[in-house]
Amino acid sequence: MMRVDPLVHRVLDGELPPEVLTPAQRVELERLERAATLLAQVPARSVAHRVMAEVRRPVPSLGQRFARWFAERHTITITIRPAWSLAVAAVLAAIALFLGRGPAPVLGSEEGIAQFVGRFPGANSVEVVGSFTDWRPGAVVLRDDDHDGIWRAVVVLPVGQHEYMFVVDGERWVTDPLAGRYVDDGFGRQNALLIVRPVPR
Amino acid sequence: MIVARILQGDPEAFGLIIRRYEAGLLRYATRMLGSSDAAADAVAEALVRAYRHLAACRDPERLKSWLYRIVGNRCRSHLARRSSSDVSLDDAPPLADPGDHEADTERADQLARVERALGTLSSEKREAFLLKHVEGLSYEEMAAATGERIPTLKMRVHRARAALLAILKEES
Repeated sequence: MMRVDPLVHRVLDGELPPEVLTPAQRVELERLERAATLLAQVPARSVAHRVMAEVRRPVPSLGQRFARWFAERHTITITIRPAWSLAVAAVLAAIALFLGRGPAPVLGSEEGIAQFVGRFPGANSVEVVGSFTDWRPGAVVLRDDDHDGIWRAVVVLPVGQHEYMFVVDGERWVTDPLAGRYVDDGFGRQNALLIVRPVPR
Repeated sequence: MIVARILQGDPEAFGLIIRRYEAGLLRYATRMLGSSDAAADAVAEALVRAYRHLAACRDPERLKSWLYRIVGNRCRSHLARRSSSDVSLDDAPPLADPGDHEADTERADQLARVERALGTLSSEKREAFLLKHVEGLSYEEMAAATGERIPTLKMRVHRARAALLAILKEES
């Protein structure tokens, strides 16, 4: 490895003035300072809206977290004796059959249907995050089954006003250009606004 | 003052902290990871974590070091997941103000050379050089940001300088 004169280090650490260096040492100093200056360019992007969306989200209570845990999918491993496994399998199969015959979900009086459509040719994934998902990804995933670049999703949402953004390929946040209504997110960008109305009965 | 406002229940005040430190944190993470996308994820996760645990920052005067420490931890986790400390050059960070003049092109070439050289350093030396010379932290602040002792950090900075200089000399 190349050896840098201790004087150059001391100048770079602010312990000595540059005047103490020889011309050759000054070249080394300037080369390192130039490298640091080039690296000091600021990337042209911001995560402020992502962070503030998460910050504004109220911290769920213990009860809410408990309820959410039950609502989300989890892998649970239960160890049972082989002798019991057949009986347990039979009971689980019976439960699955019973549930499978249940009625289709009914739209509540305080729920409505929302359709999200966006044109994202070449995208590998598109999803919607918003106030109705606590700004968390993974809940509303759009599909482009015919690969024409138009991504769609239809979901049931509570009646009312919701803010949302598209997230393309897992990281690019895009405001819906077709939303028609927008609200400022406080950091120079806009969230699309969706108003869900109850289904007429 | 700002920290006190946030702890008293004013989450919007956290926006002031983001505005003040975001650019430097993003730059640091981008140079550490060699990917602006991975850096954005690391900084966003780190800032949310910082907000949730702000009460743990006992000394608001050290907020800057504390934020760099959290971002540094996220970067280390990311690098560990990648199972390599090599910086990919496929996703070089964009210039803040790209232009098409000859001087801009020359500057972009120089930056690419420096980034390549930086990418050959170990993550520890890269971190030490960036914190000292790009983010402008003192050795005391670096110690708070990394949890390392000052002599260790000085040694890493010195070795990083020597390695960078050797590569840049060779390339020129």
